[in-house]
Amino acid sequence: MVMLRRKAIRDIKENFGVYLACIIVIAIGLLLYTSMSIAVESMDKAQQEFYSETNFADGFITVTGYPENKVNSLTLLPGINQVTGRIVKEVRIIDQQKDSNKYLKMVTLNKSNAAQINQIKLIEGRLPRENQPEILVDPKFLEANHLSIGDSIDLSIDGNQVSLYITGTGQSPEFIYIMRNAQDLYPSAEEFGIAYISLDTLKVLVKEKGQVNDIVFTLEEGVSFDSVKDNLKAELKPYGFRSMVPRKDQTSHSILTSEIKQIRTTTKTLPVVFLGVAAIILYTMLRRLIEQQRVSIGTLKAFGFTDLEIVIHYLSYPMVIGTTGGLLGGLSGIALSFPLTTMYRDFFALPGLKSEFSFKYLFISLALALVFSILSGIKGSLEILRLEPAQAMRPPAPGTARKTLIEKFSWFWQTLSSQAQMGIRDVFRTPTRSVFNVVGIAVVYSLMTVSWSMQNMTDLLTVVQLEQVQTYDVKLQLSEPSPTGATKYAVAHDPGVSRVEPILEVPATLRNGWLKKEVALMGLAEGSRLYNILDKNGRRLEVPDHGILLSEHLAKSLNVSVGDIIYVESSLRRETISQKGGNLLVTGVVPQYVGLNAFMKDTELQHFLRQGEISTAMLIKMDSAEVGAMKSKYQNASNVSSIESRKDTGAKIEKMMESFGFTVWLLAILGGICGFALIYNSSIISLSERKRELASLRVLGMTPREVLRVITSEQWTLYVFGILLGIPMAYGLSMSMAQSMSNDMYSLPADLPPMALLGAAAGTAFSVLVAQSRAYYKIKSLPYVEILATRD
Amino acid sequence: MDILMEGKNLRKNYRTGEVEIEVLKGIDFQLFSGEFIVILGQSGSGKTTLLNIIGGMTQASTGELYYKEQPLHEIDDQQLTLYRRNEVGFVFQNYNLMPNLTVYENVRLAAEIAENPLSVLDILREVGLENWKDHFPAQLSGGQQQRVAIARAIVKNPELLLCDEPTGALDIQTGIQVLKALQKLNLDYHKTVIIITHNVEIAKMANRVFYLKDGLLDDVKVIEKPLCPEEITW
Repeated sequence: MVMLRRKAIRDIKENFGVYLACIIVIAIGLLLYTSMSIAVESMDKAQQEFYSETNFADGFITVTGYPENKVNSLTLLPGINQVTGRIVKEVRIIDQQKDSNKYLKMVTLNKSNAAQINQIKLIEGRLPRENQPEILVDPKFLEANHLSIGDSIDLSIDGNQVSLYITGTGQSPEFIYIMRNAQDLYPSAEEFGIAYISLDTLKVLVKEKGQVNDIVFTLEEGVSFDSVKDNLKAELKPYGFRSMVPRKDQTSHSILTSEIKQIRTTTKTLPVVFLGVAAIILYTMLRRLIEQQRVSIGTLKAFGFTDLEIVIHYLSYPMVIGTTGGLLGGLSGIALSFPLTTMYRDFFALPGLKSEFSFKYLFISLALALVFSILSGIKGSLEILRLEPAQAMRPPAPGTARKTLIEKFSWFWQTLSSQAQMGIRDVFRTPTRSVFNVVGIAVVYSLMTVSWSMQNMTDLLTVVQLEQVQTYDVKLQLSEPSPTGATKYAVAHDPGVSRVEPILEVPATLRNGWLKKEVALMGLAEGSRLYNILDKNGRRLEVPDHGILLSEHLAKSLNVSVGDIIYVESSLRRETISQKGGNLLVTGVVPQYVGLNAFMKDTELQHFLRQGEISTAMLIKMDSAEVGAMKSKYQNASNVSSIESRKDTGAKIEKMMESFGFTVWLLAILGGICGFALIYNSSIISLSERKRELASLRVLGMTPREVLRVITSEQWTLYVFGILLGIPMAYGLSMSMAQSMSNDMYSLPADLPPMALLGAAAGTAFSVLVAQSRAYYKIKSLPYVEILATRD
Repeated sequence: MDILMEGKNLRKNYRTGEVEIEVLKGIDFQLFSGEFIVILGQSGSGKTTLLNIIGGMTQASTGELYYKEQPLHEIDDQQLTLYRRNEVGFVFQNYNLMPNLTVYENVRLAAEIAENPLSVLDILREVGLENWKDHFPAQLSGGQQQRVAIARAIVKNPELLLCDEPTGALDIQTGIQVLKALQKLNLDYHKTVIIITHNVEIAKMANRVFYLKDGLLDDVKVIEKPLCPEEITW
């Protein structure tokens, strides 16, 4: 069938623009699918391999001090497989720069790295020797601080200045995503890193004898964390038990795992949207092609071509498009997976995380493209089979000539120009095609609305968080809960300070039945002005005297609402282990965009903890000129663990938002391309279908612009219906996007501001206009005399 | 002469919306190998429908149709396709060439599916288009296009050549050229040619003329001495 193939190639060449538009939309869908799938598969694989290679712990315990020589005896508890005791200590880096805020978390290495839990994978250099002032650091810290192996770092350990030499770089499964604490929103390798040091060295430096403050353990096969925790707690209680978290709640692990889950969901949804739009374009295009070639089909049948041969011929069009789109999308997706993986490597220190050429995903994307294309091709070309050759040779019976629904509104209909009437009538006379186009426009519109609203939302979120919620200038984090009065008094007398508010933030486990969540429970002072809780309308709320306020995301995770009782546990509560927690009444659910917290009045929280008047941080309003001085005053103080100014927090939030600002823009641009392709296809179809009508209008003396009105009125009608359908679709999409993009660090409200709806309508209109300008040039060059001279 | 085809009481109904129209009302005929037949009749007399039934483009609603003693009225769509593919060549009033294939490619398209195709170049030479083989249909005159259509129909080497108003869109000079090509095929290749037309002059070229009226075969006239195309005029 060489000649039929030649015919197909020439047909494609003649309408190359439309085929290209369709290929691009398919390629976009598969570009997203392939690149994200490769990246996520590589992340998943690297995570699993790194965990098993380094024997990643199943549980993490912090205690005040547990005898080193007793650590091994913990394996005697039922279900515990291996146990390692370590000293973990956060120390400040002494820097020439006065207001710098750099910290290292020192984690001790056991004498033999082999067969231990959370082994360190040496990336470069060598392990630090025992009793030597040597450390191994994480590679990101080394790079971010422009250090090299052999350099020394000055640290302040328990008030003493110590110089340690860097012997190499290493990575641990525990610190794949490195954050200082749960309050930090974004990793900052320059300000915070991990250092590994020999146990003997650190013991000397911290003057610790035979005690460890951090225990990690693995479980025997088939044993659950919950079945061992009570025994462990009871054993550790006398040694100042502080916290115990299972692997799934370990910060680095949970962030990495939730990121993998989120990308997987996106991989399954977003490409389908693009492939769906491509299928719509392809279907309408093939329908049109087949209608146009009706007589050719009849002729082929008359010659004796079988139905199968003819169907295969017409399926060759979507097959060419599918194969090209699939290859293009697959290959560019593979190419994009390299920078994408590099981007993930910036966030996650996963040694095996790398992209590679994947035949599997090239094949899958090709198969996906072919399935979508051929299905729409089959749908579009099956009608050929139903036609007898004699029937196909005749022009189709004229369509219904009844008045369309819209013509019944004569007051409206009469105001339209003849061209508009022609265009709009056609919308109603080809209902299937119109419905497909309306759905396509609705999809494009909803993509644009959501990306517009997300962009708005992320900007808003930063502004709200920094100007309305965290209104303090400096947050002084204390190294341990301290009596409020004295600290507040001391800080209040510092230069430039105009207001000081104590805040009590305690780690807590909130439970509702089997649902539980580890959060920072915040105790706010009455009349707090430096940390505000806002309601949905941005009005300030006072923390109620009794009970607990939950953020929306938290309430949803725990499946509780106002009036429910939740069980709250905190290691700071002075009780016996069996009564570690207590019930609290949920008195409110409030929106919280950044962070995941529960709130109580400070006095109520102190009462709940059976503690006196204590606080963990001071929120300070002060003259910005004095911030530097305050930082240098407190950065060496042993009872201050960190000082963070609002500027630092702002920079962190902005950096976090930037990471998905890119996604949002990408979505808007890709949506726009889709819209253009859809409308362009529809204009080309209208043009080819109405060639004779439009040529007649030109002969009558209409300008190309006047003739264009027939096409534009049809498209603007489809546009209006598309937007109407797109609004509820956008709400749905916005809700599912907000849900999938929200996590414990930030939650995005599923809200569509009117500006987003209007902005996206303008964006969609723009892609319609661009497509129409292409149609205009086609009309301008319409060979109307020849068209009218040829027979149908 | 051998009987090539025989139709018995052929009827054909069409349904358009609520109305059922009987186009053929019971036609009996016989065709002999190598005959040149002209079917005459006014618009709506059922000429094209009869030609379509003979060519396997559609099937009669009732009645029997035998081709080389095989019952065409009993065969399925697939076998009908094979019948068209191997036994029938069509020439249409509007040529129906593939606009984006060249003259050569249009003819080869048909040759590709035939069991015993003739040489494409030989056929193009026969119809006088060997120098036009690389042109597209839009670059040819109406007569040239119709000759391409004839070449395309006979390249398959079919037994039956069916022509629906082959000169209907042509001026007299060009029409005569086309008719010469058809008569040459009939005489030199012994193909059975059936032409349907409004033009009574063309009937003078035939061995037999079928007169159709209101869906019935009104008369069959045998012409003892058929004329050459050059001898007729309209």
